[in-house]
Amino acid sequence: MGRRKRTGWHRVINGVNISALLVVLFVGLPLYWLIISSFKTPSAMGDSPPQYWPRPLSGANYSQAFVQYDFGSYFIHSLVVTLCATALVLIFGTMAGYALGRLPMRGKFTLMVTLLMISVFPEIAVIAPLYTLLKDLGWLDSYQGLIIPYTAFFLPFAIWILRNYMLGIPKEMEETSRIDGAGPIRTVWSIILPMALPGVFTAAIFTFTACWTEFLMALTFNINLKTIPVGIATFGTALEVPFGTIFAASVVAVVPIGILVFIFRKFVISGLTSGAVKG
Amino acid sequence: MATVDMQQVNKVYENGFHAVKDLSLDVGEGEFMVLVGPSGCGKTTALRMVAGLEDITSGTLRIGGKVVNDETPKERDIAMVFQNYALYPHMTVAENIGFALKLRKMPKPDIAAKVKDTAEILGLTEWLDRKPGQLSGGQRQRVAMGRAIVREPSVFLMDEPLSNLDAKLRVQMRAEVQRIQRRINVATIYVTHDQIEAMTMGDRVAVMRSGVLQQVDHPQHLYDRPDNLFVAAFIGSPAMNLYEATMTEDAGAVRIGSQEVPLPVVCRDAHPGLARFGNKKIVVGLRPEHLPAATDGSTGPHLVGNVDLVEALGSELVVHFTIDARRVRAEGASSEDEDATAQHGEGVARVEPSTRVKVGDKITFAVNVAGMQFFDPETERAIWN
Amino acid sequence: MTTADISGTADQVQATAPLVGRPDVNRKRMARLGWAFSAPALIFVAAVTIFPIVYSVIMSLSNVTVTGSGISLNGFTWSNYSIVLKNSTWHYALGFTIVYTFITVLVELVIGTMIALVLQRLTAGRGAMMALLLIPWSMITVINAELWLYIYNGIYGVADAILNAVGLGHPNILGTNIPAIIGLMIADIWKTTPFVAIIVLAGLVMLPGDIYEAAEVDGSSGWSTFWRITVPLLRPTLALAVIFRVLQAFGLFDLPFVMTNGGPGTATTSLAILGYKALFQNLDFGTGSAVATTTALLVLLGCLVSLRFFRVQVGKEGT
Repeated sequence: MGRRKRTGWHRVINGVNISALLVVLFVGLPLYWLIISSFKTPSAMGDSPPQYWPRPLSGANYSQAFVQYDFGSYFIHSLVVTLCATALVLIFGTMAGYALGRLPMRGKFTLMVTLLMISVFPEIAVIAPLYTLLKDLGWLDSYQGLIIPYTAFFLPFAIWILRNYMLGIPKEMEETSRIDGAGPIRTVWSIILPMALPGVFTAAIFTFTACWTEFLMALTFNINLKTIPVGIATFGTALEVPFGTIFAASVVAVVPIGILVFIFRKFVISGLTSGAVKG
Repeated sequence: MATVDMQQVNKVYENGFHAVKDLSLDVGEGEFMVLVGPSGCGKTTALRMVAGLEDITSGTLRIGGKVVNDETPKERDIAMVFQNYALYPHMTVAENIGFALKLRKMPKPDIAAKVKDTAEILGLTEWLDRKPGQLSGGQRQRVAMGRAIVREPSVFLMDEPLSNLDAKLRVQMRAEVQRIQRRINVATIYVTHDQIEAMTMGDRVAVMRSGVLQQVDHPQHLYDRPDNLFVAAFIGSPAMNLYEATMTEDAGAVRIGSQEVPLPVVCRDAHPGLARFGNKKIVVGLRPEHLPAATDGSTGPHLVGNVDLVEALGSELVVHFTIDARRVRAEGASSEDEDATAQHGEGVARVEPSTRVKVGDKITFAVNVAGMQFFDPETERAIWN
Repeated sequence: MTTADISGTADQVQATAPLVGRPDVNRKRMARLGWAFSAPALIFVAAVTIFPIVYSVIMSLSNVTVTGSGISLNGFTWSNYSIVLKNSTWHYALGFTIVYTFITVLVELVIGTMIALVLQRLTAGRGAMMALLLIPWSMITVINAELWLYIYNGIYGVADAILNAVGLGHPNILGTNIPAIIGLMIADIWKTTPFVAIIVLAGLVMLPGDIYEAAEVDGSSGWSTFWRITVPLLRPTLALAVIFRVLQAFGLFDLPFVMTNGGPGTATTSLAILGYKALFQNLDFGTGSAVATTTALLVLLGCLVSLRFFRVQVGKEGT
């Protein structure tokens, strides 16, 4: 890391900034392509060579997505499933994360390792039995049929993140609280939880993203009560893929989570470092 | 108002580690008792047992005359200040101080009044709405104390509360802590590893080592009449010089290395037990302040040493010297400053700043025999009667 | 007033009856509370992962017939496994999944580290950059697949237009084996590299600065500093992330399913795709479960192997 004086135009045009520009292009160009394509007219989608800027700008894809393809209900399905699953994960995960991080249980270590192993488990391994179970319960094409598996599948990672945050809280907190006269539950609620809030946000973002983007289970269990990923994947038929509509729906799907992730980016980043990466 | 009374208290951990052994200690009403000792000596464990944070394996603990072995910390009505203050970071200073009162379902206006009073005592009034993260170390420490005293507890416990402060602040806060303690006049147990802190703050000081209480006494008595080698080496800074020595046959003088230091009658009268050690090995203790440089014409026992290093402090000269006797170490008594390799006859003396001495010189000390200490090398106990 | 109560020699206090250490009463209470707190989560996870896995194993070892109302298991058999293990498509899928994972993770690591190094030196706009980098990560994989599908399209895809412009005509990218695989990899790499970059950047930021100053004084050049100082220090940070990524990659499904449906032919059929097709297109729950179970076993194996390497790191904070 040289510390050369940067004067004049060197301040702006230098190796670092050029590389940064390349990175922006690397990430941004496909995104650009996605967004502007959604504003092309449906017929212009098939232009060869393609339009690099929509002429004319058209919202037809969007109306098509919502009107013809009922994307609105897919959006709602995804929202319900994601919010419910995330809520359950946060509640159960925080409790478990607290216990595994700060309470003297035997076998904590084994539990944590097992949870870690489950979090990398391939979904394909459980999809068949879950399918038959849900079928027997009559829960195919339902909300709970996705909420419950999502909760179970994303809990381990959330517990991992939350536990790591809990570990960072000074040990004396519980003792001080005890001396002040608070019982264990009161201590968790009034003292530990507020201090672990960043961790809760991190777990929330990760879980939200995981639920929002999950595909395999949604595809298998909910053929009719589609979530966004399944809905977008099944737009059109084998012969005709309505990319315009797909992209319009995609933009609508990406924007909310993009905003959420942007707002909470600090938590995502710290979660990646202390949660997923460290031990 | 209450007292603390420990009788034969023991703490043995699950893995068999015996942290506190048969500790019997009492703290009177309003007394400031300091528990001091090297790390791992059991002082914090003892404190935590009084608090109720650790179970008592055997023995009795009484607070205010009542046996409290099985009571929770809340029931014992104790307050504690931790080394890391343990302030609730998401609450304001006022909320931190008032939390315990809130738990006791005290009415809000009462809580506010008490918090206000406490803040005034501690000089925190203008910080009541701040969060701990916005305060300095010294202020946080005061909030920790405020949280403890607002409850008007029966016993006040402090676990090395000043260790995290820088040196200058520490000295300031020592006075603060004492002032507050005197004001609330509650039995206080204060744990520290710093013997200077212990000496300056305690009404009485209890020295612990490896789970065993060595001696408990007023600071000056600990200094003047240490019961054993450990206490002698631990109390006092710079530490006492301890040397292997032999008593002469008639116990009239002590041979330190190649030098013979005659013991005047007053000395032998003060330590009649020395008579039993004729021709035997003993350990001699000489505090640095009891080795002033001999002036011309001074009579009395002398000790000669080779000067290794002279530190000019302005108020005095600290002379590091060597004699040809073996130094004795009391395990665990020395701080990190003292070199583990010091097996030779290094010693430290504090002399007048005007003394003319430089490295390589020979220096003659006029030994202050009144301050000399003698120890039985086998039992490590002081020799008096 | 002295209360010295010590016996003669050193510090041995002989108690009359040996004292036994027990766990604190409060400790036991807290442990029970811990189990109560973790129970809901653990039950949930066990119910939805452990039991189905067991059932999946059972199915893979049985003759399974699928009827309109459900599935029935008729007897124990190894045949599912013998079919799968001899199946050439499965061999291909296994190899494909492994090679695909290896290459994509490697490329992501390299490019991601380069991006992180750039970001580290960026003075202004780092926050905005990091926000930008998070967008591909947060994108639904299906959407990513559709986007690149559009880009690769042989008629109106922009990649096609570029290739044509440089004189390569109109190749059918996703219709030919190797280009399809590469196309898949590019889509995957585009989506995941920013994520890797952020992890690496976070690791870089945590490195102590004075080491670099010392290296500079010692005369170490940029390249050598990177290899001798940065990389070794980053290794623990990266290693765990890589392990995670690799193990998760065994479940590769979304991208190939949407982009190529495992094709052309079986060129991009991963283990998960194979399993899915066996289960829900051929309705062969027996062999499908065998594929699923073997995949799970591979992941388990990978876990145990990496555990050995990371026992120390995980264990330190665990107990």
